[in-house]
Amino acid sequence: MNPSESIVEGHGGPSAKTPDRGSPFQFRYALVLLVPILVATALVALRPPDGNERANWLQFIGHFHPLLVHFPIALFLLVPILEVAGRSSRFTSLRLSVNFVLAIGTIAAAAAALFGWCLGRSGGYSGALITQHMWGGIALSIVCWVCWMMRLRSREVSAPYTIVLTLGVALVAWTGYRGGQLSLGPSHLTEHMPDGLRNLLGVEATRLASGPSADPNTFYGAQIQPIFTARCINCHGPDKRKANLRLDSYRALMRGGKNGPVIRSGNVQTSDLFRRITLPASHDDFMPKGKQPLSPDQVKAIELWIAGGASSTLAANAIKITPSGSSAPAEVKFEEIDPAAVARLRSAIAPTVTQLQRQFPNILNYDSRGTANLQLNASILGSNFGDRELEAFAPIADHIVVADLSRTAVTDHSAAAIAAMKHLQVLRLVDTRLTDATLFRLDTLSQLESLDVYGTHITPAALPTIAKLPKLSHLYAGRTGILPGRSVPEGLTGKLIF
Amino acid sequence: MSNLKRPGMPMDQESRLGTSSEVEFAYLQARTRRHFLRNLGGGLGALFLGTMASKLVPSAKAAAAETVALDFSRDARAPLSPLPPQFPAKARRVIYLHMAGAPSQLELFEYKPELKKFDGQDCPASFLAGKRFAFISGVPKLLGSQYPFHQTGQSGQWMSDRLPHIEKQVDDICFIRSMRTDQFNHAPAQLLVQTGNPRLGYASFGSWVVYGLGTENQNLPGFIVLLSGGKNPDGGKQLWSSGFLPSVYQGVQCRSHGEPVLYLDNPEGVTRSLRRRMLDTIDDINQQTYGSFGNPETVTRIAQYEMAFRMQMDATDAMDIRKEPALVHELYGSKPGEASFANNCLVARRLAERGVRFIQLYHWGWDSHGADAKEALNLGFNDRCREIDQPTAALLADLKSRGLLEDTLVVWGGEFGRTPMRENRGGQVMKYVGRDHNPGAFTIWLAGGGVKSGSSYGETDDMGYEIVKDPVEIRDLHATMLYLLGFDHHRLNYRFQGLEQKLTSVKPARVVAELLA
Repeated sequence: MNPSESIVEGHGGPSAKTPDRGSPFQFRYALVLLVPILVATALVALRPPDGNERANWLQFIGHFHPLLVHFPIALFLLVPILEVAGRSSRFTSLRLSVNFVLAIGTIAAAAAALFGWCLGRSGGYSGALITQHMWGGIALSIVCWVCWMMRLRSREVSAPYTIVLTLGVALVAWTGYRGGQLSLGPSHLTEHMPDGLRNLLGVEATRLASGPSADPNTFYGAQIQPIFTARCINCHGPDKRKANLRLDSYRALMRGGKNGPVIRSGNVQTSDLFRRITLPASHDDFMPKGKQPLSPDQVKAIELWIAGGASSTLAANAIKITPSGSSAPAEVKFEEIDPAAVARLRSAIAPTVTQLQRQFPNILNYDSRGTANLQLNASILGSNFGDRELEAFAPIADHIVVADLSRTAVTDHSAAAIAAMKHLQVLRLVDTRLTDATLFRLDTLSQLESLDVYGTHITPAALPTIAKLPKLSHLYAGRTGILPGRSVPEGLTGKLIF
Repeated sequence: MSNLKRPGMPMDQESRLGTSSEVEFAYLQARTRRHFLRNLGGGLGALFLGTMASKLVPSAKAAAAETVALDFSRDARAPLSPLPPQFPAKARRVIYLHMAGAPSQLELFEYKPELKKFDGQDCPASFLAGKRFAFISGVPKLLGSQYPFHQTGQSGQWMSDRLPHIEKQVDDICFIRSMRTDQFNHAPAQLLVQTGNPRLGYASFGSWVVYGLGTENQNLPGFIVLLSGGKNPDGGKQLWSSGFLPSVYQGVQCRSHGEPVLYLDNPEGVTRSLRRRMLDTIDDINQQTYGSFGNPETVTRIAQYEMAFRMQMDATDAMDIRKEPALVHELYGSKPGEASFANNCLVARRLAERGVRFIQLYHWGWDSHGADAKEALNLGFNDRCREIDQPTAALLADLKSRGLLEDTLVVWGGEFGRTPMRENRGGQVMKYVGRDHNPGAFTIWLAGGGVKSGSSYGETDDMGYEIVKDPVEIRDLHATMLYLLGFDHHRLNYRFQGLEQKLTSVKPARVVAELLA
């Protein structure tokens, strides 16, 4: 069944048998179409938007309303164009399509009204704007239907029909403007109007907050209202008051919303507003919904203000706000390793490292998966590791950052090999036969932070050289010739550990 | 050792057509172009759905796009070979001193003068509402600390007089006073602390670490467990189980006297070369088995035989504390030949020196209910303190002077805390003084490798009953320890039962940055 087709046939077909009036058949369709219009009217009258948010399905359907409204607007405005153009003999045939356009215009208007109710009812709207817009939409679909009826009854353009049509055009403009205000803001048309034109037309400048603006000398006016104005009144303002809550003035704020007061003077924890702005952003009750949370400083200001009695007259400087700083728990960031970058970093030494790892299993490794720094732990091999073995590591000496030669057989002959590890940060020589002679040559280790000579024959003679190492923070000197309690060269104070 | 054959089709079957190949050949001959085109259509659809699926399911998309899994694969013959950590690490090994039975934080670290004031009074009803206790029934009395507290060290931390030796090391210690668990019985609570999960079958901390980092000394296990206190911990051997990880990563329980590992020595009449020949033969058989079935557990078995052979020399040496000078024994209070905590601490230091990755000590006997003299806060508890005080302090001092504390993470703690109420088993006043289990708050301390020494984190209420500031869950502690060892806890993974398993399990865990140096 396809109403539009039959309408076209009835009126448009040149060979139609056609009488002046539409067939009963078409009137039946028109009557059927009256049903959704009446349903929408009933819904708007009996179940108006009340500021509550509702089921997702309703919202999902409702959000198609802004898409759908373009059809009745365009289709209805097409009708007078067709009628006027049809007066010219060249376009007479256009007038034949008017009935069809009105028919689909009525369908579109009824559908837009129904979808619009879904959005208004479920999207948490309330206020004069939404009411006006809704009744405007209902009126428009009725007007559209009436035009269609009148046009079906008579092929000629009658005077009443012209009046109703004009009324309809005005209604399209008014309802559309109200809808625009709902979604884009109350002053969306005049917002960017040049001043000259503004003066000419007598449009007042864009108002930021309605109602008496708060006194900037009070804490409320200086700190609190600006937060609400910037972050909240788009949804909780004079025009769109979700949850029946307005945050555009002190009085409205203290009156609260549909669930009662949102601020309880002096009691931060039971103030619903504070609870909601401090919830995790993923929580259902979190505000501002779907937006960035308020900054820690804004939250702090609101907290202090509520705790201080939530007064509208408290002086601006009565509460001191210290920047919140590190109130949030510290977080550790993990960086992703880029395997290609690591491979590039290691490309120069990788073959040597692989070869050494094969020759000396388990004692040489990168210090992490993301760097080209190496750790050498020869202590595992004990006396099987000596000067000759250490020599094999000369090609990669530059990359070794940790070297543990404890309990190995290395001697002072290795001094040069150790000194060549210029990037060493940790050097362990526990229980080795190394002497001061080696330490004298370690002044190249500018990155060395920790030097462990526990159980060696190191004497205080080596201390002046060690003291010159710029980054050294620990010198483990237990069971050596260095004794606790003796004076140490400047630069080593507090760094010796026994 | 000869090369392992990967499981696959034996050569002789590849050369001629077997029955199954004939079937396949016939099948291929019967295929027509129509089959091909039909499959092509369906195949393209499937490809499309496959690519769409990853976009439709957000988690799959995130997993596919953002993370590249870390590779922990190794040569099958060397499953313990060392791997670098994800990031440069502060700690390279762990010594975990688990005080099994849960020592009372209120007698050791938690100074609560308010609780002392209410000593002997009825516990307020709000403490009991909705709580479950192991033994407390009816309305118990509050119990103040049994021992005096004082501030100590440069950092001025509060400690009782029970641990005079550890007190000297307090400036190296980082207390977490706000540990929390959700288990109030020993075995599940110990499992939670050691495996990240209160149920059986999960991999222990040590197993994860050895899986992730391997171990440098291939002549010793990477994960060694030492017990003292006369009784095994309630969680049993599951506490050092490898769970779903290959069993080569499980903890090896060693003894600090006699043979370090039971049956490690050769039986009488078997020489080392005979043992070698025997192992070579077994090896051959095992490798044939692996070639046929490809079970990684076979490789584990081969590796363990080989390690046992190498350990015959090294483990005995590492465990033999008779080689230590008298001065060291004096420091630790150790006596060769005993199974004591002191001996185990000394062994722990020797193992740390030898590159063992994870050394786990359990000392049993801290379950101070007050049901008998041995576990009473006013009697047996003192003995426990004496048993661990000097050795623990000696271990810290010894590690420090040898430069090992720098990259060794030492952990000390139980599995939960104890109540500020005196236990009243069966609603009766008991003969000895004791406290019941309190999962809501307890103290664990860390020292060494990258932790903020001489500091405290977290706070409990005036009664020491519940946490009022900065709670640290077990999983947070695990995440923090793994961070110190160079890992993002999300990325130390093992795929099992369709899930990228990890130590910190599925609840969100936080690296407690405030504990880091």
